Amino acid sequence: MDASTPARVEVEGLSKVFRGPKHKQIKAVDDVSFTAHAGEIFGLLGANGAGKTTTLRVLSTMLSPTAGDARLCGFSVVRRPEEVRRRIGFLSTATSLYGRLTAREMVIYFGRLHGMAPAALEARRQELFELFGMQSFADVRCDKLSTGMKQKVSIVRSVLHDPEVMIFDEPTAGLDVLTSRTIVAFVQDCRARGKCVIFSTHIMDEVDQLCDRVGVIHAGRLLACEPLDALRARAPSRRVGDAFVALVESAGVQP
Amino acid sequence: MSAVGTVFRKELLDVLRDRRTLLFMLVIPTLSIPLMMWLTADLVTSFMEKMARKQVDVLVLNAEAAPDLVEELRQRSNPMGLALQLSRLLESRGLTEKDLSLVKGEDPRAFERLLTARGIDRDELMGEVRGLMGAQEFEPNVASLIGSAFPPNFRVVTELDKDLGDPRDPAQREAVLLQAVRTDRLGAAVLLPADARERLARGDTAELQVFYLDSSDRSTLAFKGLEGIFRSMGKRITAERLAERQLPPGLASPLKLKPTRLPGPGLLIKIMGQLLPYMILIFAFLGALYPAIDLGAGEKERGTLETLLVAPVSRLSLVLGKFLVVLLAALVSAVLATVSLGLSLQIGFLAELSLLSGGTFSFSFLEGAMALAMILPVSCIFSALLLALSIFAKSFKEGQSYAGPLQLVVIMPAFVSFLPGVELDWFMASMPVVNVSLALKEIFTGNLDQHWGHMGLIFLSTSVCAGLLLWAAAWWFRREQVLFRS
Ligand SMILES: Nc1ncnc2c1ncn2[C@@H]1O[C@H](COP(=O)(O)OP(=O)(O)O)[C@@H](O)[C@H]1O
Ligand SMILES: [Mg+2]
Repeated sequence: MDASTPARVEVEGLSKVFRGPKHKQIKAVDDVSFTAHAGEIFGLLGANGAGKTTTLRVLSTMLSPTAGDARLCGFSVVRRPEEVRRRIGFLSTATSLYGRLTAREMVIYFGRLHGMAPAALEARRQELFELFGMQSFADVRCDKLSTGMKQKVSIVRSVLHDPEVMIFDEPTAGLDVLTSRTIVAFVQDCRARGKCVIFSTHIMDEVDQLCDRVGVIHAGRLLACEPLDALRARAPSRRVGDAFVALVESAGVQP
Repeated sequence: MSAVGTVFRKELLDVLRDRRTLLFMLVIPTLSIPLMMWLTADLVTSFMEKMARKQVDVLVLNAEAAPDLVEELRQRSNPMGLALQLSRLLESRGLTEKDLSLVKGEDPRAFERLLTARGIDRDELMGEVRGLMGAQEFEPNVASLIGSAFPPNFRVVTELDKDLGDPRDPAQREAVLLQAVRTDRLGAAVLLPADARERLARGDTAELQVFYLDSSDRSTLAFKGLEGIFRSMGKRITAERLAERQLPPGLASPLKLKPTRLPGPGLLIKIMGQLLPYMILIFAFLGALYPAIDLGAGEKERGTLETLLVAPVSRLSLVLGKFLVVLLAALVSAVLATVSLGLSLQIGFLAELSLLSGGTFSFSFLEGAMALAMILPVSCIFSALLLALSIFAKSFKEGQSYAGPLQLVVIMPAFVSFLPGVELDWFMASMPVVNVSLALKEIFTGNLDQHWGHMGLIFLSTSVCAGLLLWAAAWWFRREQVLFRS
């Protein structure tokens, strides 16, 4: 990525250790460093249990790091967590909706939590509901919505405050092809608007289709962090999947 | 702080759309008390009616030894005859059917005022009514004596079915009577001594042997009925003996108890003093239970916790907003239960009780305010505890399983208000939750003025305790090990 675009996410020596059963230490994230810029999609590629979710939870300040730090838009996740949260949009399959609220109430609630003024919030809500064609179900309770409709509400919830950094944690997991495509289109749209996008996945196709740069994570360690083409070049087949397997095997770490 | 308001409004809306919360916060506190009362009152009355309507046979053995005694027993045990005698007695005092309707009215004192107005000696009338019905000595007032006593309804027989054997034979008497009682053919049996008439004639005592079985309700009732009837028959005979010998009627009863109720808080107040604290504490807890589980464990179970945690509000604001909703639910539930109890008093089974005790239950503004000052911090304790447990739990089910044992911790201190002899002193005032239960008891029985010092200590210590627990819950909510348990 060309260096003229500003760095939005700067991760330095980030580690997260969990205390497992019988006081066993689980190094979920182990000394990870990378940088992501405005207008690019940074992919975090790794198998299940590699440490993707933990990394992204630290970036979104839900968890605090055991060591290291990360700055988002210049704010440290350790020292200024609320400033960080003001500037990120977070979307994953674990970020569900309040089933007993309507789509409109859901969106308004999060707008208020972001401290948006009522008039500005309403204008923004209308704009987004129109953009995603959500007017017809604006007043339907979220637990009555289809999966696709729910995804749209979640998307609006995450971009309502127009964040500089978008973080997606396996956003397509468990979704059907059509809903997945809405998400993928949305991720691309974020890049087009100059947002910095962090996107975790274990699906090679998604990396191929979306990412500008890729960090390969395995057993908490970042094995590679490079442009997509450089990653492809690691395999004679120039396929992401083969490159991934080659990297993991040469690293020789047990998951 | 505006974030707290935002969270509070949303959580309130959310919780109010949940049927379970509505059920526990609004429906159960409102309906359970009247329902409970209606059911128990209905059960009790239908049982008593059944007992009263069903005729029980009483066998008199050796009836030929004193036929006139048996005849009097027969008359007195006939409920129609008794009712007739009772209304004759009242008519002789110039009391009409309409006056008697006061007996069933709201205020038992009205009946007594009527007696005073007509110049009728209340105690004398009471004595005669008692004599007629063979009622117990301690009846609080005339109205309840007339209104409540069920006349015994039994039939005096002198023969028993032959197939059971011969009860006249002392060798098989007890076996035969036992069999008869057990098969419901008999309630009780009376054996007259052969020389009954002679003994009575010469001013001696005739020993009447009454056979009954105390494990049978019908038999016990028959026994109690016989006891009452023979007592009043005894009184009649004593009076006649004294008159014959021209002795003063008080000779055989030198001392007579005259229970006089002081015009202070009555039995009803005592019952309310025991019942209300218990109910308020239980319903405050139950009201908080579902919202607490919903707002903590529910967020984890439905996967909304992470959505909420990435919003730019402090965890403290989240906890406070949620806490306030849980607290509100606890208070609404406790207040609804109290109001519903108050209303039930006007209509149900307790209305009769307040009639009996001759007092009404009410409290002053100051007492109400003090009660609220006690309920508020203790509700804070429940809410903070439940919310902390709920945030720890990963699912609704887990949250409920933690709340179960906690419920015992609440019910037991609350139950202290029922224990006789447990008084509010400085030691009790330092026991959390227990002290609130006792404080409420003192407030509702009108003893607030004697306990200002205790009340101050209880309010302060409970508030401090509530504050600490809320602080702990807020700290708890910041812990990753609690929010992201694996
Ligand atoms: N809250 C937690 N407590 C203990 N261990 C955890 C916790 N969250 C994740 N882990 C462990 O950390 C490792 C990384 O998990 P995760 O970040 O969820 O991986 P991924 O998202 O790549 O599948 C796994 O071994 C997982 O068991
Ligand atoms: Mg994951």
